[in-house]
Amino acid sequence: MLPLVNGSSSTLDPLAPELLMDLHVKYIQALDTKKNDLEYWLTEHLRVNGIYWGITALQILGHPEALDQEQIVEYLVKCQHENGGFGGHIDHDTHILSTLSAVQVLITYDRLDAINVDKVVDYVVSLQNEDGSFSGDSWGETDTRFIFCAINCLSLLKRLDDKRLDLPKTIDYIVRCRNFDGGFGSSPGGESHAAQVYVCVGTLTILNALHHIDADQLGWWLSERQLKNGGLNGRPEKLEDVCYSWWVLSSLSMMRRVHWIDAPKLTLFILEAQDTETGGIADRPGNLPDVFHTNFGIAGLSLLGYPGLVAVDPVYCMPRHVIQRIGLDKH
Amino acid sequence: MEGRHGQKKEQAESTEALKARQEREAVLVDSKKRDNDALRVTTSLLRKSPDYYTIWNVRRTILQEGFLEGADAETGDKIYSNELEFVQENLKLNPKSYFMWNHRRWCLEHMSNPRWDKELAMVSKFLELDARNCKRYIIRQLDLQDKVSSDKILERAQSEFDYTTTKISQNFSNYSAWHNRSTLLGKLADDMTEEERQATVDNEFDLVKNAIYTDPEDQSAWLYHLWLIGRESRSISILGSSVISFHPLEIVVAFDETVKFVNPPTVSTMVNHLPVPLAGEWKATGTDSTLGTIWIFQQAPGAEYGPTVELVVFEDDVCSFRLGARLHSAVCFELETVEKDLSKISGRLGRLVVGKNLMCDVTKRIGHVPDPDGTLDTQKENRKHTVTSLTTSDSLDDRTALLEREIAVVRELNEIEPDSKWPIQILSMLLSELRQTVRIHSTQAKLLDDECIELQEKLITIDPLRQERYEDRRTQLVFGRETLHLIKDGKRFPEVEFEEDLPPSLDLSMRGLTHIPISAYLVHLHTLNLDSNAITSTRFIRNLLNVRHVNLANNMIKRLEGLQHAPSLEILTLENNLIARWEDVVAGFVFWGEGKLGRTGGHVKVLLGNNPVVENEGGEYVLEKRWEDVGEVGLEIQWKSEELRLAEEALVAAEGVASTSESHMEAIRRVSTTVVEFDAGPGTA
Repeated sequence: MLPLVNGSSSTLDPLAPELLMDLHVKYIQALDTKKNDLEYWLTEHLRVNGIYWGITALQILGHPEALDQEQIVEYLVKCQHENGGFGGHIDHDTHILSTLSAVQVLITYDRLDAINVDKVVDYVVSLQNEDGSFSGDSWGETDTRFIFCAINCLSLLKRLDDKRLDLPKTIDYIVRCRNFDGGFGSSPGGESHAAQVYVCVGTLTILNALHHIDADQLGWWLSERQLKNGGLNGRPEKLEDVCYSWWVLSSLSMMRRVHWIDAPKLTLFILEAQDTETGGIADRPGNLPDVFHTNFGIAGLSLLGYPGLVAVDPVYCMPRHVIQRIGLDKH
Repeated sequence: MEGRHGQKKEQAESTEALKARQEREAVLVDSKKRDNDALRVTTSLLRKSPDYYTIWNVRRTILQEGFLEGADAETGDKIYSNELEFVQENLKLNPKSYFMWNHRRWCLEHMSNPRWDKELAMVSKFLELDARNCKRYIIRQLDLQDKVSSDKILERAQSEFDYTTTKISQNFSNYSAWHNRSTLLGKLADDMTEEERQATVDNEFDLVKNAIYTDPEDQSAWLYHLWLIGRESRSISILGSSVISFHPLEIVVAFDETVKFVNPPTVSTMVNHLPVPLAGEWKATGTDSTLGTIWIFQQAPGAEYGPTVELVVFEDDVCSFRLGARLHSAVCFELETVEKDLSKISGRLGRLVVGKNLMCDVTKRIGHVPDPDGTLDTQKENRKHTVTSLTTSDSLDDRTALLEREIAVVRELNEIEPDSKWPIQILSMLLSELRQTVRIHSTQAKLLDDECIELQEKLITIDPLRQERYEDRRTQLVFGRETLHLIKDGKRFPEVEFEEDLPPSLDLSMRGLTHIPISAYLVHLHTLNLDSNAITSTRFIRNLLNVRHVNLANNMIKRLEGLQHAPSLEILTLENNLIARWEDVVAGFVFWGEGKLGRTGGHVKVLLGNNPVVENEGGEYVLEKRWEDVGEVGLEIQWKSEELRLAEEALVAAEGVASTSESHMEAIRRVSTTVVEFDAGPGTA
């Protein structure tokens, strides 16, 4: 059995900042009380994603009870459309991004019974294109992110065996997105980017096709994402950002090379991006926090083995015990 | 679809919130409207919230149903042009919005006569402001792929290629431009003659040389350099095969790297001189039985087999984690199944043959399998050799010459800038490439290995952030060097196989190893000494089907794993490691996730002296109490007895507190090893 909660570690510097766990819990709880802020409305289309980021962070922090589960399930049910997909908010159009988030939350809560799963599968399957890729919605934008969302979603629902799917073509498409540096882009010919690497490596991991990558070459490129200050960037010549802690570490973890990143330095970088007044984690120290970076910062710390955090699954970005419960813990 | 990036801490205003909300609701409430008013509301909303994707959808529906239906091509294009202008104006405020670029793509895809020149000019203008942004490049790629009639593709690729030349000559550190160059060059080369390719490649090498001399720390040009030189694909190798059990029939195959079976290799029994497939199942050792270096075939219950069994692995049966790697040719093994009394050889579990040289005892390697037309793969091999990623040659010498030339270039730069890490990294990669072209046991191969190892040590000192990666690479090289004597000599590395006679023990102590790169090389060993390395995992033991003694004292193991497939294991020495909890000991003896015992009836002695677990779990008392946890496994766990602990304390007291000296550690270890009578095996140097 792999541990489900990280044990204590003696490698941390006693003078280093600590993870402000209680403050982050409060920060996430307060997110839904800011309905008078413009920001709240400008990010309305991300509400369902926001819930996923928030509850996942809370799970990893060990405080799943901090948000009202019943209320969230009720809300998500209202976001499902007749076509089976979920919108980013009530009355918003369906999109694969919000559909995956909704499914992730419902599985974390073990509440798939609240929705029509067959219809979700119909929706996701309907987004597959001739070339094996998936569109984000019926308007046709394709991106390797959407492929991962679709495959991830069907895997969580145990429906990758759906006869309407052509998975070999999906694998071929991902392989076509591979670049001269061993990384992956958003479409064939697109430049390598750590987040696109995560979605491509994640897709290949789920589809048991990881042999299509050169782990030494890609691991090298990913390890070069770490900058002197300990933070990671998404591609060469760019600034570091807390969210890459997740994209890079999870990819390395799937290739069993997490240790190629200097863990103490990255840990320190993430901790310094905490907002010590309001809670929450920003993209880098001194900036305004948000729930997206809060989640991926905390998930990154979990992969780094930060003591006291609940272990996270590197493929699905959900608590490892949830992935074990549904029997997908082969990785 | 991300959180905010790069937003400084400041107060967000809230006054506009209500207004924005009302406007949005107006559209949604009256979503049947398809007129100018409705369109204006979406305009205003999208200015404020460009990622509000539902409103983009509403806008497209309004355009389609209210304006475009029945419109002629000219009117349609005008409407789309207006949309492009709208997007362009908003892109200035929010250039990162996926949904805005998406709308642009939608317009261009639906126009009957899209103005690509105009579009490119606009994209170029954005590029002037910000030297690189992948999304705009994606648009550039998009039009290359889908929108241009095929005869114009090359023309456009050429103009794009020239564009990257301009960008790179302005600033060598333009990763996007180098990236684009690699994809465009691939397209252009399809249409080139061999001479044109050669000229192009020469030109590229000049450009790269210029760039790396200008800024040796910039990774863009270096990675492009490496790509340009390309890699010759090394074959997957089958090191050997053997029968390991007769009832049921079990056959093991060892590969020199982790492979996956695309098709299960065929096992046949000979009936009247004709091969008849034998039903059975292939499984790799380890928790994921679909990936591994050691594969075991087990016959299906009831299947009959004769005195000779044939195993054929075809080229397409296996694939590995290296791109494009495959078997050089199909390989056939003839396996004798005349039963011997194996229990006398060892057979502790009555299950595994533990012969002196497991891999060679009962197997004859027949070699290459002829094609149906009767020709051997090796006969028809007029394979072209990679010279660069764009050029090939009939002669391997051309590859060698190119590598030597480029190695000289990088070496020269390395001498000028000895502390710059990129020249060293690339030099190390090129030396490894060159090693693929020389005889396996030659002096040159050894020199190349030694230099590569030195380069890793240099990298560890100048780039400590990535120390672990360099340590792993160093480990691969050292392990390769130390196991080379197990491999038959050959011209180069298309395929390797085990020597005829394999020694039963191997001493790899004090080599600075972080892991065991290819544990299949150790499958035949009885005794393995890994004392005093930096190994963190015991997973590799799952492939040591034959091993009895493993010495892992003085390493960095935190938990036991992978022991379920080491049925011959008798003694596992783990003194001075980092194992802190009883659970981490037991984990090694339990099948992961299933809670089943991995083996029954065996008897293993695990020596755990000087691990934190001894103190944490309180010594022998706890040991007795927890005994039943591991059920039927005859597991004997030893750690320091109270008596021994007192003896050590006395020793420390006698030598003084400051004395954590070598002699002290030596004394402790001497005591421990006396207690367990561990034999590190012969050949300890």
